[in-house]
Amino acid sequence: MDEDLITWFCAYTPLELLTAAGLKPVRSFGDPDRIDDSDAFLHPAICPYVRSCLAQAMQEEGPHHAVFVNSCDGMRRLHDAWKDLFPDGFVFLLDLPRNVGKSGERMLAGEYRHLLEALRSWRGREISHAEIKAACRAREELRREYIRAAEGAGGGERLLLARHFQSAPQDAASPAATRGPAATAPGAGRGVPVLLTGNILNPAGMVSLLEEAGARVVWADLCNGDRAFAAPTLAEGESLGEVLGALAAAYLARPHCARMLDGERRHRTLVENALRAGARGIIYASLKFCDSYLYEYPRTREMLQREGIPVLRLESDYADGHAGQVLTRVEAFLEMIS
Amino acid sequence: MELLEQIKERYLDRLSPATFRSRLFWKTVEGLALSPLNRPQWKADRVSLAYFLRATRDAYLHRAPVVWCNLLTPSELVLGSGCIPFYPEMAAAVAASAGLAPRFIDRAAEEEFPSDACSYHRCLLGCALEGFLPEPDLLLAVNYPCDSAPLSFAFLGDLYRAPLFVLEAPLPGRERGVEELAGRMAEAARAMAGLSGRREREMMEGLSTAVELSNRALRHLREVEEMRKRDDCTLDGKDAMGNVSVLAGCLGSQAGADFYRLLAEELRERGCRGKNGLRIMWMHLKPWYSQTIFQILEKHGARLVCEEYTHATWEAMDPRDPFPSLARKLGGHFLVGAAERRVSHLVRLAREYRVDGAIHYNHWGCRQSCGSAPLAKGALQRAGVPTLIIDGDCIDDREYQEGQVATRLEAFLESLK
Repeated sequence: MDEDLITWFCAYTPLELLTAAGLKPVRSFGDPDRIDDSDAFLHPAICPYVRSCLAQAMQEEGPHHAVFVNSCDGMRRLHDAWKDLFPDGFVFLLDLPRNVGKSGERMLAGEYRHLLEALRSWRGREISHAEIKAACRAREELRREYIRAAEGAGGGERLLLARHFQSAPQDAASPAATRGPAATAPGAGRGVPVLLTGNILNPAGMVSLLEEAGARVVWADLCNGDRAFAAPTLAEGESLGEVLGALAAAYLARPHCARMLDGERRHRTLVENALRAGARGIIYASLKFCDSYLYEYPRTREMLQREGIPVLRLESDYADGHAGQVLTRVEAFLEMIS
Repeated sequence: MELLEQIKERYLDRLSPATFRSRLFWKTVEGLALSPLNRPQWKADRVSLAYFLRATRDAYLHRAPVVWCNLLTPSELVLGSGCIPFYPEMAAAVAASAGLAPRFIDRAAEEEFPSDACSYHRCLLGCALEGFLPEPDLLLAVNYPCDSAPLSFAFLGDLYRAPLFVLEAPLPGRERGVEELAGRMAEAARAMAGLSGRREREMMEGLSTAVELSNRALRHLREVEEMRKRDDCTLDGKDAMGNVSVLAGCLGSQAGADFYRLLAEELRERGCRGKNGLRIMWMHLKPWYSQTIFQILEKHGARLVCEEYTHATWEAMDPRDPFPSLARKLGGHFLVGAAERRVSHLVRLAREYRVDGAIHYNHWGCRQSCGSAPLAKGALQRAGVPTLIIDGDCIDDREYQEGQVATRLEAFLESLK
């Protein structure tokens, strides 16, 4: 097992700091087929992504170094179970504000300092602001590469690309060494254009089903899709404090997850993206037991109705083994908006 | 048809939102609730009942600005700012105990709040959508113990067009975070004082008084805790569990201080009338609509000697410095941060109260309690405390499998003998 590998889960993880520390951050996508293996440690009414990540880790040898973000109850519970199961790994819980704006930025920058301190204790070396800035530039190059690669790609393919860019170990010194698969864009121009929004979806599950039903996902507003690459997280500054402040501001300026408090901005971004991408409707697909998206939906639906944008709600158990009924609903929706 | 069913069908089911805004209704309710025919068992409960009735009445009649709070929102902050704290999660528990929760949960489902979310919040959302709750002037949520409050309050803030403040308790060990939290509390207090018309000096005096009263309540609460550790304590957890509402909603009021003073006095007076038997710890909350579990416990000579949510978890505060004091109180709560804090709290209670066993009631949809139940069980078992996890729902009786719960509970209690 590579001692430099470190697992991450939430799209608010500051990958730049991990890279600057000489680590290779890799996003876990879990093993949806073995989700029940986690039952003894996580209640079945917890997010299936979280449970499948634990189930996968239980199969793997290794020190299980991981950084968690306190973004939701599910993530915090994953951190708890992980720490209990893998006590020898480096395990860090990073807090994340719900309040955006200057107070949120200050709080997040403070959290970055805590993470750097923990990394310094573990790795035995200081991390300079110059190293962080270099890591930011390398990440930005990767982000641009994703955008180039995803151009014209269909929904499933976009998620596979995003998965590659998020889960292949990235080396800050040579970011171009790990390129994603080339986009062949087989579905380009075909199907009913829709915007897909939600939390995290399995590329082999719900998304492929949408395409089977005749949808063309023109924008995947998911944390394992376009949302994670939609805005840069470049940080500049002449001191560590300035760089961390800028990095915190950049992460909070990206398109939000539904757990953040600034719902109005999230909704505005959703509508703008739908119009820009030429989507005829929005598919709101979220994982079961994800409170952030469960509670957000009625407000989103109302806002989209006001804007005259049709919306279909779907729910995923991450494995998406029973898809017949979903297919019928998607087909009916597409017929309505096409 | 049983009497309670008849009352429910005749009166409760016919309640309309307008009823709750009628002075006559509140006069009747107060008359009935505080009459000698309806004397609660404990003197302290009479104080809390009178307090909550008065506060709820005033909220519905809008006699002062109304601030909606969740379980961990410090009531001292709201009371000190001259507003009425209203806890809709408690309203959901009251609706459940009156058998009305399914109606409101179904209303929330019509709005597409799915059954996977916490039924406390689905119930309060349904109540709000039907117009049954007093309109908030401001909503003040804490980001713990779970995600539900900030998220459902965001919906409700839009519904009522009222501002939402979220107090973010920092993770343990983040001192700067405690300072930030104190600052955010000050900001929220000024917004509330703006609503109540209190000037800065009046607000600070109000907060200082609220903190002093809270300190008094804390002192008496610690006396109650010491007496509850005795073998012969007469206060059973099935009754004490309701005190979570006092801990959440009364601190900072005279009633909060009086409640714990009277409870301590009465425990001293009643002394040794308690029974011996199995000593059980209860984790999370109870089903508010059913007494079956407690009847089974009683049948087996078991009693709840401590409950997860009804204990002091903070030190006395400085009335001259209310915001940092309240921030430390909130930041130090065992439900803030990773589960290891909650688990330590439970193991400590189990040791101090010398429990023979522990029961974790898994409220469906509660990611914080269900989510950390396996860890709590593991730690308690390692500490020599057999632990039972029961799946159920505190609010929605349709999700409660009475037979299954009874079978598992009986088997567990037998194994402890």
